[in-house]
Amino acid sequence: MYREHDLSYDFLGIHLENPFILSAAPPTDELDIAIDGLTAGWAGVVLKTTSVKSNPVNLKHPMMSSFGTAAHKLWGLGNIDLISQYHIGEICERITALKHMFPTKMIAASIMGSKKEDWQSLVWQLKKAGVDLIECSFSCPQGSMGEAPGRMLAQSVEATEKVARWVKEAAGETPVLIKITPQVTDIVEIARALKRAGVDGVTASNSVPALIGVDVETLEPRPSLFGEGAYSGMTGMAIKPLTLRTIAEIARHVDITISGNGGAYTWSDAAELMAVGASNVQFCTLPMHYGFGTIRDLKSGLADFLDRKSYASPLDIVGKALGSIKGQEELVTPHSHSDIDVEACIGCGNCFRACSDGAHRAILWDAEKRKPSVDDEKCPGCGQCMQVCPVNAIRMKEELDGKVHYFEFKGTH
Amino acid sequence: MEEFEKTLSWQQAAIEAERCLYCYDAPCQAKCPAHVPVPEFIQSIRSGNLHGARTLLQDAHPFIETCGRICPEEAFCQSVCTRSKIDAPLRIRELHRFVTDSSDPSDRMELPEATLGRVAIIGAGPAGLSCARELRVRGFLCDVFEARQVGGVPSQEVSTHRYPLEVEEREIRFLTSAFVANVRPERVTDVKPLVAEYAAVFVATGLPSETDMSIEGTQLAGVHHARELLRAMKSGAISGAGNRVGVIGGGNVAIEVASMLREEDPTRDVMVVYRRGIKELKAFKKEIQEATEIGVTYQFLAIPDKVVGSRHVEGLQVTQTHLCGEDESGRCRFEPLPGSSFIIPLDTVVVAIGQRVDEDVFPGLARSDSGLISAGENMQTSMPGVYAGGDAVHGAQTVVEAVRDGKKAAEQIASFVAGGE
Ligand SMILES: Cc1cc2nc3c(=O)[nH]c(=O)nc-3n(C[C@H](O)[C@H](O)[C@H](O)COP(=O)(O)OP(=O)(O)OC[C@H]3O[C@@H](n4cnc5c(N)ncnc54)[C@H](O)[C@@H]3O)c2cc1C
Ligand SMILES: Cc1cc2nc3c(=O)[nH]c(=O)nc-3n(C[C@H](O)[C@H](O)[C@H](O)COP(=O)(O)O)c2cc1C
Ligand code: SF4
Ligand code: SF4
Ligand code: SF4
Repeated sequence: MYREHDLSYDFLGIHLENPFILSAAPPTDELDIAIDGLTAGWAGVVLKTTSVKSNPVNLKHPMMSSFGTAAHKLWGLGNIDLISQYHIGEICERITALKHMFPTKMIAASIMGSKKEDWQSLVWQLKKAGVDLIECSFSCPQGSMGEAPGRMLAQSVEATEKVARWVKEAAGETPVLIKITPQVTDIVEIARALKRAGVDGVTASNSVPALIGVDVETLEPRPSLFGEGAYSGMTGMAIKPLTLRTIAEIARHVDITISGNGGAYTWSDAAELMAVGASNVQFCTLPMHYGFGTIRDLKSGLADFLDRKSYASPLDIVGKALGSIKGQEELVTPHSHSDIDVEACIGCGNCFRACSDGAHRAILWDAEKRKPSVDDEKCPGCGQCMQVCPVNAIRMKEELDGKVHYFEFKGTH
Repeated sequence: MEEFEKTLSWQQAAIEAERCLYCYDAPCQAKCPAHVPVPEFIQSIRSGNLHGARTLLQDAHPFIETCGRICPEEAFCQSVCTRSKIDAPLRIRELHRFVTDSSDPSDRMELPEATLGRVAIIGAGPAGLSCARELRVRGFLCDVFEARQVGGVPSQEVSTHRYPLEVEEREIRFLTSAFVANVRPERVTDVKPLVAEYAAVFVATGLPSETDMSIEGTQLAGVHHARELLRAMKSGAISGAGNRVGVIGGGNVAIEVASMLREEDPTRDVMVVYRRGIKELKAFKKEIQEATEIGVTYQFLAIPDKVVGSRHVEGLQVTQTHLCGEDESGRCRFEPLPGSSFIIPLDTVVVAIGQRVDEDVFPGLARSDSGLISAGENMQTSMPGVYAGGDAVHGAQTVVEAVRDGKKAAEQIASFVAGGE
């Protein structure tokens, strides 16, 4: 009944019906589950990372953990998972089957190897099976192969460049993405190495190495397997700001295609990742939390956004916000101050307390009326009060060159 | 018997706690007569610090278990919650009850040596016991004189349905064992001997007498005083009420006794007969709602003329009223409609029209026109060294207001004793 905005475009020569891809993770680790995801409307899958037959994969359960609050349990998701227990032979059969069932979707695979022969043999077998794209995990936080234990391939510029070359050499025309970690000293160096190696793009990024928690009652880490635990990979909402910076840093300095991944939960999160340079967006924690049906809102939200903004294609957003990301020192020096809408204010006093104990003591409090007011002399407009106001009654107002500008609160939907 | 409401689970409490805005100079706290530090204790629920929440509540409020159950929060903290300007007020009393229900009274206390003197407290209700605790914390010893049962009205009369025995016992046991030197089971009629013996006296005797109705027929068998019935039922006796009960009144006592009679025998008809309308009922909304849920019915706009019957009650003759404007105090006025009288067939009449200070006690203490004990801002009565508070001074109030008075009296007594030395 409703006209649908066309969300399709080409990504590295592959047709995508929309920008939303299921990343290499549990939602793509069983054939029937992956089929359900694609049937629900996801534009493609990256099958969970596979390896050569000789590579043992010893899982430890329970492997999942999380942190959050009572009302928002899952701000961050943790896992001590490893790559898939299915080896390359099984994965190739699935690629062929999926390609047959979904000829217009992107069927990709993720691989991890140690020796040159392994990496290249994985690539050759996938090509033979008809894979659309190959992603290489250089960033599994749980013990990478081929490097020192606990160290990821993508944490070494030299190793990254060397292995990327092996893969691209074997892949030929088939597009190759390298999945990197945000936990490096300089992400730009890694991206430059990948550019030199000639791969087609980078997946930025992956789960972030983390320690999800410690139970202070028992002093056991989380997750705890009989009292002992390990570092996790953290994913989900909590990592979105890290992902945004990673993508933006690469896009600002290196001319390379980026597949965005890490912390996207909504269509607008995805649009943010694209606005700083991602050409599509991969999801894992969202479907692991709320299932494949979330694709409907991703699509309709993005479609409405494109309509409202008169963008023809999702590609039109890619990198659109990059021009305005600058060094702190390059920004103008305004004199702004807090501007409180006393009509909208509900009198909770949070702004007063925040300014009093954490900023400039520039807010005055009328205890009788329970209303704040701002001492313009003392307020440099740092914006902390605006972060804590529960009803968004505060904005920053600044006069520059005789004109009035407002900085409104942005942070939640 | 099953309770009306279940307390919150940890998860529900934590989710509810997250709704709190943690207001600066929080209005909820200011509105609580005991000044319970509401945002802080809610913050402690949020952080999983149950003991911290418990000590905050317990510090501010000796009758914390009781109020977690029966405080009319609609009149206090919850009525001013800032959150209601976004969606709905915090369920503060439920959170408060969550804390008391899921933790024991904290006995990690350090009391000073009691060297400052002895104080006599007359009446072991919320006002008296609160004063005793605050005085003990300041270094006094208190002897508490109690004519009936330690705990006051909540222990003696509030239905176990709303205020379970175990909750009550735990609170009263804790307060008396930790803070009271002696409980003296005596009815005090004169304060003068105590003034001589003690450093100070606090009169917190509440409103032990019930107001009689000056109409024909109240001498008939089957006419009862409401609070007498409540006390009997609470102590485990059978009320002896019949199958068609009329309760006269519109306050908390009327609703409480109606509910308890209905619970005692769910096949019994219990009707509250009130001279004004439903909106004018003085009882707490929650209690009215719960009474209605269990089948208490109402005859509004009816003023009793006489109880009819030969030896036993056979009915209540009432005249219909209509409401007509407000008096100076803003209360709704009513007038009888001439010729509109009719008889409600009843076999039991329960009178719940008011309560008073006993007339035969405390000669020498000035009283107000309505017989309440007179006390000034500083809680002092007409007799130096004698302080008074709670319902005995203010008329029927609430537990948390009696607590406020007890705390305030302790403060005044401490400075009186210090000044006198
Ligand atoms: C049926 C009923 C239901 C109520 N429900 C609620 C409710 O849900 N929530 C709420 O907050 N409030 C409620 N109240 C009100 C509340 O109980 C009172 O406001 C509160 O108990 C007053 O405390 P107090 O210490 O001043 O007096 P009381 O609680 O009356 O305590 C006075 C004590 O003094 C004793 N005493 C009296 N005379 C003497 C004497 N001469 N010598 C020695 N001892 C004496 C009495 O036996 C009694 O124990 C209710 C009251 C009633 C009657
Ligand atoms: C349980 C679990 C297992 C994962 N396994 C893999 C994997 O085998 N290979 C891989 O490249 N990424 C793996 N990931 C990372 C995800 O593909 C994705 O990069 C990460 O979850 C960040 O995206 P998100 O915030 O949308 O979840 C895994 C993630 C989770 C939660
Ligand atoms: S934080 Fe917002 S609502 Fe609260 S007092 Fe300040 S302006 Fe008002
Ligand atoms: S008024 Fe309501 S929102 Fe504010 S601190 Fe009190 S309970 Fe929390
Ligand atoms: S005592 Fe009553 S008013 Fe005070 S916080 Fe508890 S429920 Fe609210």
